[in-house]
Amino acid sequence: MSRRNTELLFLVIAGAVSTMAYVSVYAGRYREINRVSIIYGLIFVAIFIVLHLVVRIVLPQADPYLLPVTALLAAVGLTEIFRIKPDLALTQGKWLLVGAGLFMLTVLVVRDHMKLDRYRYLIGAVGLTLLVVTIALGTTVNGSKLWIHAFGFSIQPSEFAKLAIVVFLAGYLDDKKVLLSVPTHHVLGVPLPAAKYFGPLLVMWVLSLAMLVFMKDFGMALLFMSIFVGLMYMATSRVVYVVLGGGLFAAAAAIAVAIVPHVNERFAVWLNPWPHAATTGYQLLQSLFTIADGGILGAGFGRGYLLYVNHQPVVPELQTDFIFSAIANEMGLVGAVGIILLFLLFTWRGFRIAVWAPDGFSKLLAAGLALAFGLQTFIILGGVTRLIPLTGITLPFVSYGGSSITANLMLVALLLMVSHRTNVVREGTDLERRRLAERG
Amino acid sequence: MNKAISRVFIIGVVLFVALIANLTWIMAVRANWFADRPQNKLALAKEMKIKRGAILGFDGSTIAGSVRRSGYYYRDYPQGTLAPQLIGYDSLRYGRTGVEAAMNDYLTGQTTDLGVQSWVDKLLGRRTQGASVKLTLVPAIQKAAQKALTGQRGAIIALDPKTGAVIAAASAPTYDPANLDDQWARLSTDADAPLLSRTTQGLYVPGSAFKVVTAAGGLDYGEVTPTTPFVDTGTYVVFGGKVTNYGNEVFGPNDFTTALTLSINTTFGKVGNLLQRKRLQATMQRFGFYQTPPLQLPAGQVVPSGRYGPKGLLPPDAFMDPLAVAWAAVGQEKLLATPLQMALVAGAVADGGVIMKPYYTQQVISPSGTVVLRTQPQQWRVAMKPAVAAELNTMMQRVVTAGTGTSAALQGIEVAGKTGTAEKGNGTNLAWFIAFAPANDPRIAIAVVIEDTQSTGGEAAAPLAADVIKTALAQSALP
Repeated sequence: MSRRNTELLFLVIAGAVSTMAYVSVYAGRYREINRVSIIYGLIFVAIFIVLHLVVRIVLPQADPYLLPVTALLAAVGLTEIFRIKPDLALTQGKWLLVGAGLFMLTVLVVRDHMKLDRYRYLIGAVGLTLLVVTIALGTTVNGSKLWIHAFGFSIQPSEFAKLAIVVFLAGYLDDKKVLLSVPTHHVLGVPLPAAKYFGPLLVMWVLSLAMLVFMKDFGMALLFMSIFVGLMYMATSRVVYVVLGGGLFAAAAAIAVAIVPHVNERFAVWLNPWPHAATTGYQLLQSLFTIADGGILGAGFGRGYLLYVNHQPVVPELQTDFIFSAIANEMGLVGAVGIILLFLLFTWRGFRIAVWAPDGFSKLLAAGLALAFGLQTFIILGGVTRLIPLTGITLPFVSYGGSSITANLMLVALLLMVSHRTNVVREGTDLERRRLAERG
Repeated sequence: MNKAISRVFIIGVVLFVALIANLTWIMAVRANWFADRPQNKLALAKEMKIKRGAILGFDGSTIAGSVRRSGYYYRDYPQGTLAPQLIGYDSLRYGRTGVEAAMNDYLTGQTTDLGVQSWVDKLLGRRTQGASVKLTLVPAIQKAAQKALTGQRGAIIALDPKTGAVIAAASAPTYDPANLDDQWARLSTDADAPLLSRTTQGLYVPGSAFKVVTAAGGLDYGEVTPTTPFVDTGTYVVFGGKVTNYGNEVFGPNDFTTALTLSINTTFGKVGNLLQRKRLQATMQRFGFYQTPPLQLPAGQVVPSGRYGPKGLLPPDAFMDPLAVAWAAVGQEKLLATPLQMALVAGAVADGGVIMKPYYTQQVISPSGTVVLRTQPQQWRVAMKPAVAAELNTMMQRVVTAGTGTSAALQGIEVAGKTGTAEKGNGTNLAWFIAFAPANDPRIAIAVVIEDTQSTGGEAAAPLAADVIKTALAQSALP
């Protein structure tokens, strides 16, 4: 079966599962199954069929699993948001449309990611500007300054900055990797490259420290620092960057815990939430209670106890950062592990594309995007399950939030482009290669 | 480069495996542990989806019902405020107490006794429904007890001495469980403690009401008979101290029956020392002092009676010198007792020396109407020989016919009782009356305590006991 037919098959399966889940929640809520519920399900399927057709025409050799996984995760998210706050589901549906639009725009305008390398400094500057603007003009929500309110919208620029920084770093590090991996001197027996190449490392360290202190957000800072350190390592294969980067971040985190009350509070709650059960630890404990309540098989879609009598969710922010707690409650351990495996599948495809990619930039771009995606998933899932300190970060495709779903759909577009080029270069027909060359 | 990329991915896989392991720990291994945390509001709220079983009075009327509003069930109280301290509250915010807590598994239909029924319901997708709990509490008698306490602080508890069934348990001041959440701030800080279940948690100096215990010990060990003569000079000098009478009265020559009738402290001090410390303490233990009465309530909601030191209940055999023994024999000397314990004392005399296990659950009735549990009355302790109980019964009748408890006398009903008046030192008294009736075939044993009154037990407490006894004996059926 061709890649696109495989994709279509899985999309149809994902669409059927999603529609059933949605109809089941709808029936649970309104005690009937009517045309409206099925129409909404079909609109959702239609969006992804359109994306599939665009990919079929422009990127026929792209990876066939990313889009169905995306569809399934987005469906679970939408269904659960509808379950918790029906009004928000429609907004999220509109954001999905916007995201689909941006996906198509990215695919049609960029066509080949190699083009992006030419604008790497511009893209890097845009990413940096987004972060600086957030630090300067952002609004504080739940203790973290991650939002920009403009034109009636709330945008979380860090979600887009994440993409821009990965593109920039992939290009920059691919260029400088030889210089970065040649040791020029030894310190205490450790071979070190020339000092001037540590510049970017320090810039990123300062940036993540600034994010910690000014945005008060541990999760995003950890994500950016890890993307950087991970890419440095993958570009140079030198563990020294991981050690140095990890050490610097640990130092920054220790400083933040000491001087930023919000970060300190989160850290204390993570160590022991029980004394803070009624105050700062309430959210985390309620999350754990909600997850534990799911048991092995869960209560079923629309059947869990997720809303109090007054329609307030049992965990504050259940539809955004804590959406996974709701999913675990209703789908049980089996379903929750299934969702985690879907994220792992997506991440694996990303890294697989990187490994097979024909050039350094493509490799670093795909690996960076996969790393960003997988790590963001880990940070929020680890947070709501108390594996690591809790930070306000969205679960890709699933959480309520426009910036998150649109940015992550663009991430999918980029990964698809890299995999298309990879497959064409490796095994494509002459015609396909010629077309690809024309794009660059 | 590929090697490094693969390594990064492997680290990612390790992290994801850690996520799955942790999730398994939370959802499979520790799920029940999390469900049982008191901080877990989810478990409590979830039960609001269940039609909570009703709490019924002995007459079958609903004391606490369940009404559905927008998919959730709430408690309602069709008879208003009825024994709220015993029945307890069921609040999403403040948890559960009393019967609501003790019988929660039945009321929410979770207990295995209802198993088959509930599983069938579950398979058919029916809503779970809790079982009803029918109490031994008789609403008419409870209302009479609450009315008697109006405007005062104190408690009244009435039992069936032959079964141990609690037929009334009133505690004043009281509160309205229907508005608990709104009034919590006031109720929980009020110095008069309306939330306190005074009948089972209130510890009071028993004073002369305790003389029934001393008398039982004296008679049972053969140290005295109802006719043993004593001489009262107003003071009993012992071990470098003295025991005096209430109001410094002097009674002159008296026999043991008269000493109980008129509540002569000096005589009871002497009987205390005839018994000596160990046998007095043994007598107390036979009456159930130093043990938590086995009334099925959450921990802390029934407390033991006995001698209390600064750190709580003293050991049953703690040392007392003869002066302390004399004062203990008249119900002083660090002695504290709950109204429940004192009602059990009266009940022991009424029931030929036997104390029945106190209980409040008559039946548990499943949603389909079958009785899944019926309490079988059980003996708890033997406080004295039947012959001693008979002698003490006659002596206690004299208290009502010719002694300190005449205001408890009722037309056509022989009442046996004992007054108690403990001076608090600030000019107010703690007034006690313990009683049972009819004396020849007792159907009710009662303890009444009134806090901070200017009057004696005979004046303040005995008439209230009479009211409740009269109402109780007018009922067609008692537990």
